[in-house]
This record gives sequence, C-alpha cells and structure tokens, in this order.
Amino acid sequence: MNKIKTFKELEEFRNKIINNRKNNTSTIVVCGGTGCKASRSKDVIDALKKEINQQGISESVHLRTTGCHGFCEQGPLVVIEPKNIFYCHVSPDDAEEIISKTIQNNETIERLLYIDPVTGKTIETETEVPFYKSQDRQILSQNRQVDPCSIDDYIAIGGYNALGKALLDISPQSIVQEVIDSGLRGRGGGGFPTGRKWAECREAPGNEKYVICNADEGDPGAYMDRCVLEGNPHLVLEGMIIGAWAIGANQGYIYVRNEYPLAVENVRIAVKQARDLGLLGENIFGTSFSFDIEIARGGGAFVCGESTALMASLEGRVGEPRPKDVHTVIDGLWHKPTTLNNVETWANIPNIIQKGSSFFASKGSKGSKGTKILALTGCIKNTGLVEVEMGTPIKTVVYDIGGGAPKGKNIKAVQTGGPSGGCIPVDKFDLPLDFDALYDAGSMIGSGGVVVMDENTCMVDVAKYFLNFLQDESCGKCVPCRLGVDRMLEIITEISDGRGKLEHISLLEELGETISYTALCGLGKTAANAVTSTLNYFKEEYEAHIKDKKCPAGVCQELISYSIDPENCTGCGVCLRGCPHEAITGEKKKVHSINLELCQKCGICRSECKFEAIIVN
Amino acid sequence: MIQEVTVNINGALIKAAKGTSILDAALDYGICIPHLCRVPYVEDLGACRLCIVEHVVNGRSKITTSCTLLVQEGMVVLTNTDKIRKLRRNLAELLVAEAPNSRAIQDIALRCGVRDVRYPFRNNDCVLCGRCVRVCTGKLAEKPLGFVGRGKNRRVEFPFDLRSELCNDCGRCIELCPMTMPACDGMMKPGEEHLCGNCESKLSDDDLALGYCVGCYFGEGFHCERSPN
Repeated sequence: MNKIKTFKELEEFRNKIINNRKNNTSTIVVCGGTGCKASRSKDVIDALKKEINQQGISESVHLRTTGCHGFCEQGPLVVIEPKNIFYCHVSPDDAEEIISKTIQNNETIERLLYIDPVTGKTIETETEVPFYKSQDRQILSQNRQVDPCSIDDYIAIGGYNALGKALLDISPQSIVQEVIDSGLRGRGGGGFPTGRKWAECREAPGNEKYVICNADEGDPGAYMDRCVLEGNPHLVLEGMIIGAWAIGANQGYIYVRNEYPLAVENVRIAVKQARDLGLLGENIFGTSFSFDIEIARGGGAFVCGESTALMASLEGRVGEPRPKDVHTVIDGLWHKPTTLNNVETWANIPNIIQKGSSFFASKGSKGSKGTKILALTGCIKNTGLVEVEMGTPIKTVVYDIGGGAPKGKNIKAVQTGGPSGGCIPVDKFDLPLDFDALYDAGSMIGSGGVVVMDENTCMVDVAKYFLNFLQDESCGKCVPCRLGVDRMLEIITEISDGRGKLEHISLLEELGETISYTALCGLGKTAANAVTSTLNYFKEEYEAHIKDKKCPAGVCQELISYSIDPENCTGCGVCLRGCPHEAITGEKKKVHSINLELCQKCGICRSECKFEAIIVN
Repeated sequence: MIQEVTVNINGALIKAAKGTSILDAALDYGICIPHLCRVPYVEDLGACRLCIVEHVVNGRSKITTSCTLLVQEGMVVLTNTDKIRKLRRNLAELLVAEAPNSRAIQDIALRCGVRDVRYPFRNNDCVLCGRCVRVCTGKLAEKPLGFVGRGKNRRVEFPFDLRSELCNDCGRCIELCPMTMPACDGMMKPGEEHLCGNCESKLSDDDLALGYCVGCYFGEGFHCERSPN
C-alpha cells in the first residue's frame, strides 16, 4: 500500500474508496461487539454471509461487522442501510428471510422489529427507538459506521481529516488552545481539564515527551472504553496523534488490559494499518513530525488504572502509585513529561479539531462540556451503552433511556463512578450528570458506570461489595487504603451479620474521612465513597441493621429467614426440587414448608418460585 | 553550590537546601513530625502517611506527606493543626491495632494521641513500612528483599520465598525494623484494646514542652538524628 504523504492524497484515497462502493445498494450492519458476540452474533454473521453468497448478491450487498452499538440488551443487533431498518434479537435462522425479504424485496420483517415497551407499537428504524432517541451520540454513532478492522471504512466517513487539519493548518500551540477552549475534561474519572494538562506538558522542559492512552478500565459494570477501542480504534489513534503533535511527543503507548482480547486485537490491527498508510511513523503527512504507538497489555490490576501506577507498570516495575507532588506532566514515564488521557478523552479530540471547540463547548453544562458515554447496568430494562450530553438529569437516563426497572419494581438509587463513586438516592434524580454536581452529592461521574439498584438492594450490602472489591484491588502500599479499607470491611461485615453497634456508624464516618484525606493515590482517596455516600443517604438502613437486627431489603443472610406463604403456595414442588440443602418438605399440591435448621438462606427457592410464595422475613 | 530556599513551617521561616523534603527540613529545626517509614538518606516511599502536613497553596490547604514534599521557595506548611492531629491519630490507631506488640509502634501511637483502640488487635508481625526493603543492598547491587503480593496479601519476602544467596547478612533490615522492640507487658490480647502508656513515661518531657523534640526513645530506635545516642 502506498503511504499517504499529503492531505490531497488522503482526499484521493477517500474518493477512491467511496467510488469502489458505489455499486452497493444496501449494507447489512451487524453488531460484533462483546455484548452481541455473547448472544451469538458471530453465527448470525456467518449465516448472513452464506446466504448472501447463495443468493448471488455479494456484488451489491455489503456486510459490515461493527463494534458495539450500545443497545446490548436487544442483541444481536442488525441494521439494514440505507433505510436504517432496525432488527433486534436476530438469530442465525433469520438470515435467509432478511436477505430474501428485506434486501431483495424491500419488505420489513415484523417479528424482528423492536417493540416499544411503553406504547406496544413496533418501531421500524433505528433513530425512532426510544433508547437512541434521547441520546446525543457524538462518539458512539461512528461505531455503527465503521468496521473496526478496516481503515478504509474510517477514512470513508471522514477519518484522519482532523489529523490533516491539525498537522497542516494549525500550530501545536493553537491546538492546545482549542482543547482548552473546548472545556474538555478528563473522562477517566478525575475530570481534570485536558487542555490544561496538555499546556503544562507542552511547556515542561525536555525534548523527550510521551503520550499514553489509558485503556485499563477496571470498574465493575463499566465498559465504555472497551467499546470505543473495540469498535473504533482509529478514532483513538487519531486523537493520540493530534495530541502528540500538540505537546511535542514522538512516542505513544496504549495501555490496554489483557482481559479485553478483542480490543487488544483491533487496536493492534489499527496501528498496523495506520503505519502502512504512513499515518503513524516517520514524517506524517510530509511534515517533520514523527510519531509511533506501542501497545502494552496490562495484567488486570485495578490499581494500574491510576496514572503513576500505570506508568510504573509500563516501565516494567510493580504497578504501584507514587506520590504526585510533582505532576506526571513534568515527571512521568521514565521521568519525562507525559500526557496520560483516557480512551474516551482521546476519542473526543478529532471531533474538537474537526468541528471546532465552540461546537463542543455548546454541549453540556456549565463546568462540564461535551457528551459522556455511560454504561447503564443493574436493575434496569435497557442495559447498554448510552451517550448523553453532560448535564442530562439522572432521571432522563434511568427512565427515558433505560426504561426504568424491570417487573415494575421501584428504583431506589444509582451508583455512579464505579468503586470510587457513590450512591445517589432516587429523590436526587433531578441532579444533572456532570462532574461538579455529582461530586457535590458525594459521588462522582467517574469513568461513566451507572449501576441502577431497585428496592431489593440492600445498601449495606452494596457498600460491602465495593469494599470487598477495593480490599482485593488495593495495592497495599499506604496505610489508610490497606488497613483503613480492611477495617471498614470488618465493621460493615459486623453490621451485616447483626453484631453491629451504634458507635460503628461514627467510626465508619471518621475512618472514611481519614482515608479520603490521607490515602496516597486517587483511587485510595475515593475508596471510602461507597460507604460515606450510603451512610449519608441511607443511614436508616444501617440503623435497621444495628438496632432492629433486620435487613429491610432482605439481602443480608444473617438477618433474614425464609418462609412459605400458604396463600400463594400451589404445592408445585419447584422449590423442593431446587433446594440444594433439602430444607423444604411438602406433598404435591399442598403447602410446603421450610426447615429453618437446614436452610442455608441461599435464596434459590425464592428465585425458582413462580408464584412469589417464598417470603423473606 | 547548594541553593537555599526559605519555607514557612508553622509560621517559622526556615532555610533548607533545595532538594530536601519538608520532613527533613522540619526535623533539622526541631519541629518534630511523627514518621515511621522514613529512613534518612534513603528514598522516601510515602507509605505510612504519619508525616502528613497541610500544604497551603493560594489559601487552600492540601494534605500530603511531608517526606515526599520537597521544599520550594515560599512554601507554606502547617504540621500541627487540629485536622492533621486528628487524621494522624486515626492513622496511628490503624497501625497500632495491626501490631500492638511493637514498642516503637505503641510509642508512635501514644505520641499521636491514641489510648483506646477502637479496632480489635491483630498481632501482626509486620506493618509493611518498607524500611527493610529500602535499605536492603545485597551482593552485586541486587536487592534480596522486596514486597510480594498485593493489598491484604502484601508481605516482605525474599524472591520465591527462599532466603536469597544475595543477602550479605548486614543486618540493617533487623536494625531498622520497628517490630524488634517488644512492648514491656508481653503480648497484647484481643479484647484489651488499650495502650497502658507506660512507655510514654520516656516521653514525658514532650508533654511539658509541646512541639519541642526531646530526643525520645522512639527516635533512638528509629535513627532519628536528634536521638540521645
């Protein structure tokens, strides 16, 4: 492949690609993201391929396997362009019908269409689906338009234009200014203004500088970075090249966790393709600027998502944070000035350069500009990836996009920002999702995980879960994080086991304060948030555990017992067969009963029972 | 030539050579900041967090460890505010609950104001201050001692749990270990989470002249430059 040396050559290359695709009358877009892959989208793709060949239309139909579309709940997803017909829950058996009816005869297949759960009507096109309607998909929309393994697809939709513009028309100084003006803040959790970081790094003394892309996403229930890197790696690369040019770096690293095999593979392919086209390497676009990217795989330690620990890990040392009294923009990787940004931050850069900082700054709230990708999970109907304008109220995301809790249950709280974030109760759902508002509410937007909890969630148990996670993942270097979190977990376990004392609450509060002020790294400083925010908003639940020895949500095993409601029990025997401890007895069609001495409170009977006859006391 | 800068510690203007830490500068002038993991002339780790101070920048104070904070011209630092004392006491309480049998840790906890400990004692043999790991220099400039594991499983160990041939038996690790001075009354028992304070008698002068270093027993064991020996 010839290297692209000038901006004109990029234009010519793009026109050639578009010309080659003129004959395509329609494109079948199949989601090949991790979520859809788990629901067998690979088989769907194979079946569609086979069918296209069998019906002899491979000339006019283009099959594109893309990254995640976001609506993972409904996967595997298939979209037929140009009419954007949206099919969900597609199985390999549907392939024949899709090709012969929708592609050949322009008919839509009713049963594959999405049904609006509110109105009960079928929805034909993607844009009309309520899940997508309330979103503002600046970054994610591209996921659907490109095959992550094809640089042609990316260039065809205008990719690497921003890079050309940045290298040829704008001075590095002005690029930094543009990013400052855009108001972009780091999407990894901290929310530090990206432009200021770049400016400091640019002005830092030294000729050797580095840029790093942090793709070591480890929050439970969060997968935004994964989907961007898997679905559109060139967008991240383009952002990194622009950033490197702006701050004067010649070497970049992508630190991606090895648990994301598809992301590792796709980004490797992307780097190779960009190198082959001369978009990475020596003299990019015929300028004197040279830049290359290396991919480093992380071993899956949560703490390696912290900037200094990540750099230590990149250098080949143990991934432990170090004090940041001197910032990494001055003393970073190998003690050289280093700019580290998260995947989503880098992915925002090409748009800012292409559309201008004012366009970016026109979106979002006062202190937080642009859009944010959220991973919506937990007790909610539409789990998936959501991209909304910063400052969108929580209730819009949970109810309008997420569709509320399944089975008509009441939502109690959302947990935002992963283990570093906190819980926000339902009466605060008017709060806008942005950096400052959530921080003031005792949580944070973090990397964008939004876990929805319904009435069956015990907040003490939630705090316990996150403490367990943090205790496992703490590097153990500093006292407050290693011992403080450990003691917090010890106390919370006492409370959830019914041995809690009232003074435990004030001790937890004091310990939380100590940890947040004195821990060494950012992850340690926020480690107590899960406890402090639940203590702040759900103190009565803690008190119920301590005073009444009761778990209001019926979760904490030591404080509950199961019994069978004689009115609802039909004597079907499902619970009896399901119980692994043989604690349930009863004759067929007669009310069953639970032997409390044998019962291990595993809850299997409760989830098995179709008549809601198992009650938690 | 050594460049000197002036820093303001607790209102006192102090001259210190560029490159020294606030902790070293303060100790030089007799302003005692409790510390555990620091070893003179060895790279600081910032692990025990006991030497926290308030670093005031533009009227806003930031809490950071003084061992890793290097002096800069005009720097304003407060070492003994109510907030710092409270946080330090909580940190020392966490430490002493982990290793109540060490006289050094008991001393430090008492000095930070801990009497009754609110956590059950655990009687561990190591508080992971890392003093041994950092002073360890074996043969061939290789370090036989290191940290192994993460979080709760972190411990100090030779590579592959075998005593390394690289160890040159210098004994510095033992000399610097805060766990080598057992408390006078023998093993502390869980359920008796109280520090008797008898060791504190050695520090009684400190109570009379608060903030003035008396060269305490604790300092002796920890190679404090101002210790009597």
